[in-house]
Amino acid sequence: MAYAAEVKNIVKKFPSVTAVNDVSFSVDEGEIFGFLGPNGAGKTTLIRILTCLMKPTSGRAEIRGTDVVKHPSLVRRNIGVVSQALTSDLDLTAYENLNIYGKYFDVPKGERKKSIDYLLEKVDLKDRAKDLVATYSGGMRRRLEIARGLIHKPYILFLDEPTIGLDPQSRRVIWELLQKIREETKLTIFITTHYMDEADVLCDRIAIIDYGKIVALDSPANLKRNIGGFDIIEVTLGNSGPEVMEKLKAMSFIKNITEKDESLRIYVEDAAKSMPVLFDEFKKMGVTTQYLAIHEQTLEDVFIHYTGKTIREAEAQKVSFLIGAGAPRKMPGARI
Amino acid sequence: MRALAVTERDLKRFIRNPFVIIASIFMPLMYLIIMGNSFQGELKHLPVLLVDQDKGPYARRMVELMQALEDGPRTLEITRESDQKKAVSMVRDGFYKAVIIIPPDFSKDVVKNVEPQVGLLLDNTDSISANSVSGAVSRATAYLKTEYTAVRPDRSRPQLRSIELYKKIDYDASLVPGIIVMAIFMGTTFTGAFSLVMDKFLGIHESYLSTPLTRFDLVAGTIMSGVLITTIMSIVVMVGGLMITGIKLAGGVNTFILLLATMVLTALGLLSMIFTVLGRADHPRIVGVLVGFLNVIFYFPSGAVYPIESLPGWLRAFATVNPEAYAVHAFKELILKGSGFVAVRGDLMFLACFTAFMLLLATLTFKRTM
Repeated sequence: MAYAAEVKNIVKKFPSVTAVNDVSFSVDEGEIFGFLGPNGAGKTTLIRILTCLMKPTSGRAEIRGTDVVKHPSLVRRNIGVVSQALTSDLDLTAYENLNIYGKYFDVPKGERKKSIDYLLEKVDLKDRAKDLVATYSGGMRRRLEIARGLIHKPYILFLDEPTIGLDPQSRRVIWELLQKIREETKLTIFITTHYMDEADVLCDRIAIIDYGKIVALDSPANLKRNIGGFDIIEVTLGNSGPEVMEKLKAMSFIKNITEKDESLRIYVEDAAKSMPVLFDEFKKMGVTTQYLAIHEQTLEDVFIHYTGKTIREAEAQKVSFLIGAGAPRKMPGARI
Repeated sequence: MRALAVTERDLKRFIRNPFVIIASIFMPLMYLIIMGNSFQGELKHLPVLLVDQDKGPYARRMVELMQALEDGPRTLEITRESDQKKAVSMVRDGFYKAVIIIPPDFSKDVVKNVEPQVGLLLDNTDSISANSVSGAVSRATAYLKTEYTAVRPDRSRPQLRSIELYKKIDYDASLVPGIIVMAIFMGTTFTGAFSLVMDKFLGIHESYLSTPLTRFDLVAGTIMSGVLITTIMSIVVMVGGLMITGIKLAGGVNTFILLLATMVLTALGLLSMIFTVLGRADHPRIVGVLVGFLNVIFYFPSGAVYPIESLPGWLRAFATVNPEAYAVHAFKELILKGSGFVAVRGDLMFLACFTAFMLLLATLTFKRTM
């Protein structure tokens, strides 16, 4: 089966740094594939190689079986790109932005008009179609640029940090938009992000990249499952005694239990499945719950598991490296 | 055609920001008004001191001749001074351009024909003024002994009869071809390659570099919009220049077509050349520096302000490959002389070849990736 995108042993070296270091992966047709990593991990370099904006130092990359280095013109016809920077023309209206891009792809006039109307409706900008983009908010521009990336009905859509710099509400709107587009068109989407929640919500599979190397690749659920950690149920019980603690410790699905202040921290494999059972047991024991909180495994935990640091720490290290405060140290992997 | 879409995008952006275009039209016209009125052929009102130490009849005659220069062409503004030392120090202090000294035995020497001399102490740091004062005083001394009209004119001396082929061209009118070329150059610097440099600077270029646009589409598309904007600008500047200086175009539609062809070819050639130079620049500051540099090396040896024939050999050699020199020549022929195709075909041919070469070079050197 031909992959939507396939990358084999790609290396990209710059004079002072190896941005992408022997990366291989494939993207299935119709999936949302995420590239997750801190800023400076090599995500943008990789997306630029796949979108024919940069040539790799070595290795091979294909879009729908077409080599990006040997046949860039053909690849460009099949891809839609939403860059990290806001790149819509401020002095043009939304309609003009889409119309001119449609012309770049030789979309015939009638088809172009239909596509523009459809896409503007889809990204909820129809009422503002004739306004100059200079009057748009960041979120509106991003929506317009997603529509622009789809004007020629691409085979695969690349989005480089599509919600960077947006407020939480605008980010959610973009997520919903991408999910809606995928549901309706079965489009393959390749997305890079350094937001854990974004990758978790949107992606079918995620590749975690750090210092130019893929350190893990799987579905978000599998990634979380595979690191072998536990969800934590934090509970404060109203009328409990030592016998309650004993009974809880005896339950097989509870892996560990600790006391913190007046609360219990109950470690389970799957909090969602364990909660109903636990409530039934509390009821049988005649105890009441005064406070309850669940801490599920997140991709942040996955990132820490594979890189030994949080994504923020990873970014801070890269910044200090860039400003000459010292080279980043490879931190040992840590398990939760 | 995808290149046309590039042109359309560029034109729309310029139309919505007309300030740059208006300023670029206004500047060459201001140059014409200020330059045209600042340097009006011969110099006037040059302040000089006159020290008459003789006071004899020929000294008085000399003073009269100087005063005639003051009252007639107004080349000099004469102030009498008796103290020679004080006069020299006033020139040194910059209050006067020169001191004319008539020595004590001047009249006696004139009568005796023993080479009478008039002293002239010049502030030669201002060479243009110094040359004018020197020339005016020389003319006056030549007339010192010609107050009588000869009974029989000397028919053996050759007489000069100069006939002007064209009607009188004022200094400001002679600047019009140059300011059209200036407008074209300005237009080509803020359109064309500059649009791409700004896109790169703002990070916008990434979006269209991932489309099927080819190098030629991008180069040709931006150059086409540049040619359109620049040609319209230069027509407006030409019409403004003609109105300000009162020149009437001779030759009708044919001349206008030739003017238009010269404008388009000059704009195309300069846009392609600037594209070759700036195709890989990624910051507007680089453009600012290079454009200033290009302006100096192309405009001044173009014949727009000084005849190419009077330039030193190496600059004359450079002028043979300077597209602005051919443009200025063509505009002079068409606007000032009303010449036809024959007079400008060499210019047009050079500009066409220059454009083709530079367009090819611009396309080949333009980097399509990031």
